Amino acid sequence: MNSAVMKKTMYFFVLPALLFYCIFWIFPILKLFQYSVTDYNGYVQNFNYVGFNNFKTLFQEEVLVTSIKNTLVYTAITVILGNIIALLLALLLNANIRAKGFYRSAFYIPTLFSAIVVGFIWSYVYMPQEGLIASFLAKIGLTNWDTNFLGSYSKALYSIIAVDIWKNIGTSVIIFLAGLQTVPHELLEAGKIDGAGKWKLFRFITLPMLATSVTINITLSVINGLKAFDFPFIMTNGGPGISTNTLIYAMYKMAFTDQLFGKASALGIISFAIIIAITIVCVLTLNKKEVSA
Amino acid sequence: MRTESLIRKLGTHLLLLILVFINLVPLIIVLSSSLRSPRNMTNPLNWFNEFTFDSFISAYTRMHFPIALWNSMVLTSVSVVFVVLLAAMAAYPMARIRSRTSKFLYIFFLAGLVVPGQMVLIPIIQMIKSLGIPLGQYTPILMFITCSLPFSTFLYTGFVRSSVPEEIEEAAYIDGAGLMKRFWKIVFPLLLPVTVSVIITQGVWIWNDYFFNMVFITKTLDAPLPVAMLGFLGDQQNPAQWNVLFAACILCALPLLLMFFALQKYFVGGLTMGSVKG
Repeated sequence: MNSAVMKKTMYFFVLPALLFYCIFWIFPILKLFQYSVTDYNGYVQNFNYVGFNNFKTLFQEEVLVTSIKNTLVYTAITVILGNIIALLLALLLNANIRAKGFYRSAFYIPTLFSAIVVGFIWSYVYMPQEGLIASFLAKIGLTNWDTNFLGSYSKALYSIIAVDIWKNIGTSVIIFLAGLQTVPHELLEAGKIDGAGKWKLFRFITLPMLATSVTINITLSVINGLKAFDFPFIMTNGGPGISTNTLIYAMYKMAFTDQLFGKASALGIISFAIIIAITIVCVLTLNKKEVSA
Repeated sequence: MRTESLIRKLGTHLLLLILVFINLVPLIIVLSSSLRSPRNMTNPLNWFNEFTFDSFISAYTRMHFPIALWNSMVLTSVSVVFVVLLAAMAAYPMARIRSRTSKFLYIFFLAGLVVPGQMVLIPIIQMIKSLGIPLGQYTPILMFITCSLPFSTFLYTGFVRSSVPEEIEEAAYIDGAGLMKRFWKIVFPLLLPVTVSVIITQGVWIWNDYFFNMVFITKTLDAPLPVAMLGFLGDQQNPAQWNVLFAACILCALPLLLMFFALQKYFVGGLTMGSVKG
């Protein structure tokens, strides 16, 4: 490109955004590294440097292992199950039928609700005895089922994961649908003539053509899962016990409920490392797949 | 053959209707309960057994609906305007100049996508105080703008690269247009499709965000809709409060739902921007 037209002075355009981004996003992260080796409590400004003590105490506590495990389970399930359901719905919606727009909107509507409203609604759905699921089961005569979803150590995490999938599936469906519309009909026809079955058509024509939407959806849901915070915060308070603590929720609670900013920062650094490592692996794997597809 | 495909279509419709029903059942219950009087304690599964706006009136006053709605509108629109301007400007050199610096900037911005806002928040309260920025109703705007930059610059950069031809700018350059004029008069108007997409994707999350608002806004009358909802926290455990709580949920979601039904085409187009072209 002609460098007389695209002068270096163009870089001035980046400055306002860069300023915001560095002050309110990058600099705080650097600050987090500093706080992580102090006993800062958020209020008293003259804090002491305590070396790696925060990290040491974290590694001895159950909450670290539990929240790492929960975050990984949360991410794995929302990514795999969420995207499979979304893809199936998109394939169903891609059929040559009327009222496509109606169905699409119906799946998209939950996305428009604030997480806080979704949390309220699903707290009702999951209530033991009076809740939607409990009273429905009672109505059809299944009274001996355990309906204490959010209060149970084994079920609470999966219950909030289901809410996350419900809320976010609409976006993935729309992105998959847009991808499906780029699959050329001729290609599918040619495949049919060559005698390929339904599964083969999907596996060797549709899926490779969907590579970009798959990459986008998986990347977004991986990031969304690793950052999970809303539903533990609104619906379970991380409980019962610490059974629904995700990394970000545990960090938030440490900082703002327990007033341990230093320790929370150390947890933040650990979370950050985990999030970045997983995201990079995902992006690299997906890129490789996309190129070879 | 024809009847076979007809049966197939009917089957697809039936399956879809069942799925839509399962998907929306919680919302249907919420709607039906919100239309009852606050003291109607019959099982929510008995749909639409009463029609009254009493619960809505009670929720409306309790959440200071008109004020909260206005606050939401101000917060969202101011943030979104800044996001559009800053992100479009930032994307321009990143898309046009081919150098290491520009590539670095692109990745630098994109990397911000993985950072959770909660993590940034620990130092930020302290920083905002030491920068002398007053804490209050409009402080969240700073976070909304910053938080939206990674995704928005990503969308804009991709679009400038793929869909705004450099030849147009060369022509303008020969005609003597300066950088400013070229960007604002020629490039920026051509970015309209992404601008719509940025307004929708970022506008929806900013509108719905309770987190930054909850942290920075302390006065009841400064609160936007999602924070006004926090006043109902605890009511979800108490069946006696459900009807009003559900009415509040509907009121909180209504503005965005109406917007969606009015502008559906743009929502769908806006969401898929950048995902098809890559």
